Amino acid sequence: MMKVFRLAAQTALLWGIYWVCNRFVQATGLPIPGNVIGVAVLFSLLCFGVVKLEHVQEAADFLLKHLVFFFIPIAVGLMDWGPVFYDYGLVLLAAIVASSLIPFWAVGFITQRLHRKEKPCTP
Amino acid sequence: MYSLTVTFTIVITVCAYVACRALYLRYGHPLLNIVVLSAGVVIAILALCRMPYATYVPGRDIMTLLLGPATVGLAVPLYRNRHLLRKYALAIVLSVAAGAFSAMVTAGLIARFGGLPQEVVMSIVPKGVSIPFAIEIARLYDGIPALAAAFVVATGTLGSLMGATFLTRLGITNPVARGLALGTVSHAQGTAAALMEGQEQGSMAGLAMILAGILTALFAPMVMLLLN
Repeated sequence: MMKVFRLAAQTALLWGIYWVCNRFVQATGLPIPGNVIGVAVLFSLLCFGVVKLEHVQEAADFLLKHLVFFFIPIAVGLMDWGPVFYDYGLVLLAAIVASSLIPFWAVGFITQRLHRKEKPCTP
Repeated sequence: MYSLTVTFTIVITVCAYVACRALYLRYGHPLLNIVVLSAGVVIAILALCRMPYATYVPGRDIMTLLLGPATVGLAVPLYRNRHLLRKYALAIVLSVAAGAFSAMVTAGLIARFGGLPQEVVMSIVPKGVSIPFAIEIARLYDGIPALAAAFVVATGTLGSLMGATFLTRLGITNPVARGLALGTVSHAQGTAAALMEGQEQGSMAGLAMILAGILTALFAPMVMLLLN
């Protein structure tokens, strides 16, 4: 019972941060999503010790464990967009493959250059 | 009748999630994607019952109420790994920024010159980041959240199936570099793949995934301007 109450209180705190950040974005017209600002704000609050890890971690861990659940209702929206995949399948595939390969190389190359001394692993 | 429909849509979604999650946990194959499978089941049931998407929307709004707070919760793993963040600060910032930016530009340009409709182009640009960030970024530029989610899952699946092979072929052997690359390019699914290589790769991928989401949001105004 105590656990449920704690989860609810922690979720309310996360929600409060999200709500404030969303209102801030609406008020300022900033072209950045409220949830992105929310992550940065909570991270800063944790770093400055305003919010302690034990104030949010149970709710955060629980919600993140089931994060993919929230994606399902959004993905169901695809039922109205089937034809796009028939009409433009090849272009979409090319865009996704190319835009994965190039950043794979970019990220790997830059990090490896900066940390050359460290031991490589054998995958 | 209305509340009955809403309850029905929520029940089928939760059941599909529970079943597909159990399937994934049992076999653990990247092709058994929980989002794709569950959404497929829900769409099939809605189609069988001849229910249009509009009847699903009220239930969707209830079910996604907690998505915002859950996303804010991503600050918790970021904070737990802050020592790694500090240790590899320069590499992380430079490489994740380069990765996120090149992913957006490449995807956007190919989609644009491949003749895709504008709202599809706007939905594919944020395809390298976690779904909550991608849908919000897409929405800001009149993209379609559902399409953005689909491109995110496609990218993640490609990355988790082929990422390790790509990186080895490209000569990327450093575990930190591999983790960062997997997280930047293929978000949560890449992070799961990185965790299978090792703890260090997994932690770096988790950091990279969250930072790529933030950086993609920051780059979006510039990239979208370029594509318009």
